[in-house]
Amino acid sequence: MFYRVAQSILLLVGALLAGSAVAANTGDVKTGKLVYERYCLSCHGAQGNGQGEAAEYMSIKPRDYRQGTYKWRSTPSGSLPLDSDLEHTLLNGLYGTYMPTWRALDERSRRDVIAYIKTFSPRFGTEKPQDPIIIPPDPGYSVASVARGDAVYKKYNCAQCHGAGGQGDGPSAHELKDDWGNGLVPYDLTKGHVKCGDKSTDIYRVFMSGLAGTPMPTFADSLSPVDAWDLVHFIQSLSPLYAKNMASGETGGAR
Amino acid sequence: MVNAMSAGGRLHGRVARVGIAIVALTALVAMRPVRAYEVATVTNGGSIEGVVTLSGSAPATTPIKVTKNQDYCGQAIPDPVYTVDGSGGLANVIVFLKDITKGKAAPTEPLALVNSKCMFSPRAQGAMVSEQVKISSEDTVLHNTHPQNADTNATIFNVALPFKGFSVTKPLPSMPMMIKVKCDAHEWMHAWIMELDHPYYATTGADGHFTIKDVPPGTYTLAVWHEAAGANTAPVTVAAGQTTKSKITLAAK
Repeated sequence: MFYRVAQSILLLVGALLAGSAVAANTGDVKTGKLVYERYCLSCHGAQGNGQGEAAEYMSIKPRDYRQGTYKWRSTPSGSLPLDSDLEHTLLNGLYGTYMPTWRALDERSRRDVIAYIKTFSPRFGTEKPQDPIIIPPDPGYSVASVARGDAVYKKYNCAQCHGAGGQGDGPSAHELKDDWGNGLVPYDLTKGHVKCGDKSTDIYRVFMSGLAGTPMPTFADSLSPVDAWDLVHFIQSLSPLYAKNMASGETGGAR
Repeated sequence: MVNAMSAGGRLHGRVARVGIAIVALTALVAMRPVRAYEVATVTNGGSIEGVVTLSGSAPATTPIKVTKNQDYCGQAIPDPVYTVDGSGGLANVIVFLKDITKGKAAPTEPLALVNSKCMFSPRAQGAMVSEQVKISSEDTVLHNTHPQNADTNATIFNVALPFKGFSVTKPLPSMPMMIKVKCDAHEWMHAWIMELDHPYYATTGADGHFTIKDVPPGTYTLAVWHEAAGANTAPVTVAAGQTTKSKITLAAK
């Protein structure tokens, strides 16, 4: 009898712990649906297909969630994102698009809405995200690194899309389409902010993860970490914002 | 933390959770393909040798106009969609067996997809699920190889081939699907990979001919697929150690 009672208590505690662990790590789909309907639906649509009422007025279309394809990921090309990647986009928004920051949402609501957004793609039920890309520490911005990065930019033919001067006007800049057939242009690297974050690690990550759903491929298989950091510094040198930041000794814009 | 009042409720919850787990497990088992492909030694296999021909004359095609990197890619590239020889043999047709559930093992060599002279080669090929594909570039201009699920357009991966001589090997998805490959940097570049759950497939050569080997004796449906001329099927019976001849036609569209 004692053992049976002890066993029951253990099982109960175990179930309780398991229950709370699940609750802490993944959001609640039902509550997430309410958050989604209140804040996300007008752009991303009731079906999660990126065709909400406001979408037709936007030149950069809201994300269609049904393919599980996300630009901002810590994971390799082709992989699903981690929940923390989706939360990063919620917190930071996407510069240059209509996606604002959702810092006003509390943590609980963010997790719930992420859980709900994931239900639009069956991939989250059948695939696991791959391990995140490892980003070694930034060796630091220097004039020498920028010069080496200029050579990397040329060697890796970045100019094919982004243009010789980084203004997004390379030979392949026109007629580019995303996975949904919408036209898009390569990023003008001389403008200032970068869509996926201004930190040097954000720029490094984009080289390695690519931007899923867009023509920007992964260079993880061809670009060494040393060359990638030089390229980051070269890209930073193109931006007026960064030139200012570098002069004042900062290594990246905090956003 | 744990009080007696809610202990019963939690126990009830636990029973419910176990119940849900069983239901979920049953659903998973039920969802598995009824007849997954099984690898077995094929000792008495036969071959299927055949030809796919285009009925009627091939539609006139205009050369692809090269819109970028003309100094390297040239001004125009012949359109390879309808590559037909003198006797009507149609190239780049994927030929495969339907309803085969047991037979030879997957190929051990990765399939190849070469970026050459601003085109993909081969234009079309079969593959087994999860097979590796070696992607390489012989060109000095940047290419990117961007396979997508042809039904949903979902990106499978998108890898840069920044310079001549670079190659990378990547796995294909674990589910059968038709894959359309594109190079975003050169929008005219396309290739097709048909992923199947078995290794009984071939692609027709320049003369429209194909061979499928080591087929266990039996009756199957032979299917063909071409990017423009569409699909067709024909029944085929394979006898032990014999070569079966087959001829299938596709109509130009």
